[in-house]
Amino acid sequence: MIKAGVHPVKRVKSRNLVRNRYLYAMLLPAVLLVFVFWYVPLTGWLIAFVQYRPGIPLLSAKWTGLQQFIGFFTDTDDYVHLIRNTLAINISSLIANMTTAFLFAILLNEIRWRYFSKLIQTVTFFPFFVSWIIIYSLSSAMFATSAGAINETLIQWGVIAEGVNLLGDPRYSWMFMIALGVWKYAGYNSVIFISAISAISSEYYEAAQIDGANRFQRILYITIPGLMPTAIVLLILNSGWILNSNFEQFYLFTNATNWQRMEVLDIYIYKYGLQLLNYPYATAVGIMKTFISLIILMVVNQISKKATGKAIF
Amino acid sequence: MRERSISGSLFDAGNLIFMLAILTLMLFPFVYIVSYSLSNPSMLKGGLVLFPAGFTLDSYKKALGDSAVLTGAGISIARSIIGPAVMLFFTSMAAYALTRNDLGGVRFFRKYFVFTLYFTSGIIPMYLLMGYLQLKGTFLIYILPSAVSVFNMVLIKTYMEGLPKEMEEAAVVDGANDMRVFFQVIFPVCKPVFAAVVLFECVNQWNAFIDTQIYNTMSPHLYSLQYVLYNTLNQFNSLEQLKEQGQKQLTAITPQTFKMAITVITILPIAFVYPFLQRYFIKGLLVGSIKG
Repeated sequence: MIKAGVHPVKRVKSRNLVRNRYLYAMLLPAVLLVFVFWYVPLTGWLIAFVQYRPGIPLLSAKWTGLQQFIGFFTDTDDYVHLIRNTLAINISSLIANMTTAFLFAILLNEIRWRYFSKLIQTVTFFPFFVSWIIIYSLSSAMFATSAGAINETLIQWGVIAEGVNLLGDPRYSWMFMIALGVWKYAGYNSVIFISAISAISSEYYEAAQIDGANRFQRILYITIPGLMPTAIVLLILNSGWILNSNFEQFYLFTNATNWQRMEVLDIYIYKYGLQLLNYPYATAVGIMKTFISLIILMVVNQISKKATGKAIF
Repeated sequence: MRERSISGSLFDAGNLIFMLAILTLMLFPFVYIVSYSLSNPSMLKGGLVLFPAGFTLDSYKKALGDSAVLTGAGISIARSIIGPAVMLFFTSMAAYALTRNDLGGVRFFRKYFVFTLYFTSGIIPMYLLMGYLQLKGTFLIYILPSAVSVFNMVLIKTYMEGLPKEMEEAAVVDGANDMRVFFQVIFPVCKPVFAAVVLFECVNQWNAFIDTQIYNTMSPHLYSLQYVLYNTLNQFNSLEQLKEQGQKQLTAITPQTFKMAITVITILPIAFVYPFLQRYFIKGLLVGSIKG
């Protein structure tokens, strides 16, 4: 029996609050922290729509509408090299990283000597945990034009007359960035493929062997199709990042001689925002980047759902 | 059961050579800088260095006597210990609450957290927020923004959902409240997933560089070791200092050996925790990929 005047839902709610007070107490700090460091800064997106002046509340600043957003495409030609560099490097990196991890996992699976394959996994996984500054330091030690180990050696051997400027010459920038990414992430990316291979039932291999399939045929008709679902999920997961570059990587490797082939959206936003202090413009470019990323993720997800039945949401 | 064919053996041989090439490619840069940093520069002839030429620890003595390096190491160690501890505390508590389907509004809270994985506000709003919160130029800026990791929360929650429900129920029957259930029953059995996320956060904290660059460039006492390395690689004032002192002490150090010594010092802690990282992290990664 429900007493008059006490709403049943309300009663359930207050009972829930009392009964679960400890759970709410455990949840609350995280809710607040995420609110302050994630939801509050979202209101900063307003900066893109107003004439920002430090100290003046955003809502009373002069409204400028979409001026900053349109300006990105009409006031300068920057968007041409930015979009070109960002897409070229990120799409090539995604393809290169996936392909190398995929092939590496398959080849590693063919190594019969367990200790050796464990050793290779251990060594290749290590660069994932190494910071970009270390990689920057290693790169200059290896590839600096005059004092780098590789250039010195090639000159000593008489292969080249003068050092190749990998770090500064814009011709090599894209290839160099993609290669560094592969070096750092191949071991990490292959972990998921390796576990996917071990999840393929050994019955398939046994049946194939009885049917007379050789090693290449087993790789081609069992291992590779068995890895495809994993590859597709990884591709969807990573497609949302196609406009997001590895900030530290590009911050460190972009310099005065190679910037035309190296400058990507994230670095441009940083430059305009925190170095040239044009907050509205930098925020506007950032918002566009975020929304286009989300759209790409949704589109790839939908296409994949239709074509293969695999989707992440 | 394996068949022996010529093409199979050729493939094995080719594969072996390929893997050895990969090993060389991955290892050589590290071997090179370690050997170079231990070499006496006057004995280096340039080119590939596999073994130290004229063993000396001078560049390490110099680096470890450098006050910037020591301060940087202190900051990096502090943030690599405090950061993961704080993250684990807030993140694991929330993760446990989210596993409880009987909690009113739990579906909303799950969405509230997961939403944050898909996009961020960007660098400028964050920069301004840190200004308003007066966190710029403080140590807390290394800790607070990463105090809750939603990615780790999902990993921990997934792990907790795999635990047998009977443990919790037994504790509740014994009259323990939810907080005690979490800290005394759930927390101890989550060690594998906690090890994974803590180690990963440790590495993130140790490797972090851009937060110092964005928020703390005006506070040299808060420079992390990574940032000190960055400055050493890019600025030449330390080079000049070295030259002056080098003439005084006649030590065998060049800017190159000095840079490499700091690089090695920055990698060493990662190399030490790497065996644990590899063991726990692969597990954590796979938990995540199943969910993903």
